[in-house]
Amino acid sequence: MNADLEKLQESNKTELERRGSIFNIGAPATEAVTIRDQIAVGFGDGTVRFFQSGSDPKTVKAHKGVVLSMTNYEDHVLTGGEDGRFLKISSDGNIDEIFNFGSKWVDCVASHKDTKVCSSGKTVYIWTKNKDKPQTLEHQSTVAGLAFDNKGKRLAVSRYGGVTVWKLNNNKWTASNFTWKGSHGTVTFSPDTKYIVTAMQENQIHGWRINDKADLAMRGYPSKIKSFTWVGDTPYLVTSGSSDAVCWPFDGKEGPMGRKPIVVANGGKELATFVKALNGEKAVFTGFTDGSVLLAEIDESKKPIMIRSSTGSEVSTIAISSDNSQILIGDMKGSILLSSLWADN
Amino acid sequence: MENTSQVPVTVLTGFLGAGKTTLLNRILTEQHGRKYAVIVNEFGEQGIDNDLVVDADEEVFEMNNGCICCTVRGDLIRILSGLMKRADKLDAIIVETTGLADPAPVAQTFFVDQDVADRTKLDAIVTVADAVHLSSQLVDHHEAEEQIAFADVILLNKVELVGDNDIVKVNDRIRKINPFAKIIKTTRCAAPLDEIVGLNAFSLDRVLDIEPDFLESDHDHEHDDDVTSLSFVSDTPLDMDKFQDWFGNLLRTKGQDILRSKGILNFKGEEERYVFQGVHMLMDASPMGPWPKGKDRSSRVVFIGRDLDKMNLKEGFENCKSA
Repeated sequence: MNADLEKLQESNKTELERRGSIFNIGAPATEAVTIRDQIAVGFGDGTVRFFQSGSDPKTVKAHKGVVLSMTNYEDHVLTGGEDGRFLKISSDGNIDEIFNFGSKWVDCVASHKDTKVCSSGKTVYIWTKNKDKPQTLEHQSTVAGLAFDNKGKRLAVSRYGGVTVWKLNNNKWTASNFTWKGSHGTVTFSPDTKYIVTAMQENQIHGWRINDKADLAMRGYPSKIKSFTWVGDTPYLVTSGSSDAVCWPFDGKEGPMGRKPIVVANGGKELATFVKALNGEKAVFTGFTDGSVLLAEIDESKKPIMIRSSTGSEVSTIAISSDNSQILIGDMKGSILLSSLWADN
Repeated sequence: MENTSQVPVTVLTGFLGAGKTTLLNRILTEQHGRKYAVIVNEFGEQGIDNDLVVDADEEVFEMNNGCICCTVRGDLIRILSGLMKRADKLDAIIVETTGLADPAPVAQTFFVDQDVADRTKLDAIVTVADAVHLSSQLVDHHEAEEQIAFADVILLNKVELVGDNDIVKVNDRIRKINPFAKIIKTTRCAAPLDEIVGLNAFSLDRVLDIEPDFLESDHDHEHDDDVTSLSFVSDTPLDMDKFQDWFGNLLRTKGQDILRSKGILNFKGEEERYVFQGVHMLMDASPMGPWPKGKDRSSRVVFIGRDLDKMNLKEGFENCKSA
């Protein structure tokens, strides 16, 4: 643990809330991503707002209806909306409509370098540099999650019955299927790209070791897992869905197979709804159903610290600025806390 | 289950051409001062264009928990959770299903998925039936029977095209399948919207509205695979343990064939009425306050399903009577 984290632990919740700014937007915060020194947040009223320390957020009226999905793309954000539009938005309010799907929602978006990806219904659309027409990848059912591996060579697409991993070779995508009964949502590659993991519509997460497609069923949650994040060098996959942040170890040959997870950041009777790694640390922010947020090290003997007190509305997003200086927390009522993480900032 | 912040969801079923689109267009365009979102299926009829219309595929998937009845509508889970993120609150959501769809997975979604159950509630299943063609559709398509069987409200539409005698016949045919649905006879689906939306038909206290008239006779039926209903009344108090054993086992083993079940129960030694209602194997049950003073404490149960006569329901129910 470094000195900064220790300093942070000396501060208490009132400090972080006192030195920060609170904005009441009035619509659920749905997604947040970091672009340079700004944090872009999508809302249920269709706006994307760019937050920056020391100034009021810049509001971009992007979608009609809910901002369903968002990711960063160069200096921009890509968003998908309930209005069927897939947009590229700059922080100065420039909106570039990449495609309009009409009454079909744009459920998921993803990017890697200069490649822009979205899904609508069963189809994934891929725009590569200097090409107007997208490549399309078809699936047997509606796409519910998209994730690139760190090199951008593989794209995981979750759906009913499992995940399709598409591999790019000589400008052609070839599919490999990972099967597990049920409906699969948000999907992620492990940082070493040896595993893929999905959050299911049931109260469990499911993983596969990619080289032999071995299954990892991670069960025992009291509610759905809406959020997960990779933490530390081990690494741990930290998940929401329980009264604690549940941390599965993905080291060694077998990963979490046959091992128990570590649980940190106990929320009492509240359930964790959002988790976010603190970059470069073995620590995680955990947001709960009542709006409170705890920061905890992945160590059951350490006490977590309160970052944000209860607002009465579940935490729906947390983002950390790229230089680790600012944290943004948003909830389903549209209350936003933007604060510096470090006391002397 | 009861929670005022839950948005009510009406499920609209009916065969192609029965008049679902007419009804949806009315719901979307009439000046009712309410905000309704409509989830339509992509193979539906044309002619609905509105910002509050959401396109969906009817994607049914089986849960991984081993319960054969746990097929749910995955697209509904996704879309309802998206709609719940809107800044403006919806007064109600209407889900249109295709004419050939089995209504069970839609209803089961509201029992099985916790997020859906937390934020929305199944208000009623409304079936639009074509008075001209229903009789032949019931013979040719078991989906038509299921849509009638599941319904809380049946709009018997296009009655202006049918003679009085035929209306009585089709009305009787519906009653044989479903004794408790409310039947509204309409032309161009012109029924008051407050008789279609906001009914709270799946709330347990609505079970108390079961009309005893429908419950006194067993029905004969014509084919083995017909959907029919059976109902039983008992003035002798029931034994709670015996009932739970019998009913639990019944739903576990025959839940596939029992489409809907409802009942009000008088258990020996209990002051409160017990009420239940089920969709296939899934069931909601709860005590519902004391019996009204001066009224008979009789237990009443209704089953709608296939092959009911092979389930020894009468015998099973009789055996639950307390000694």
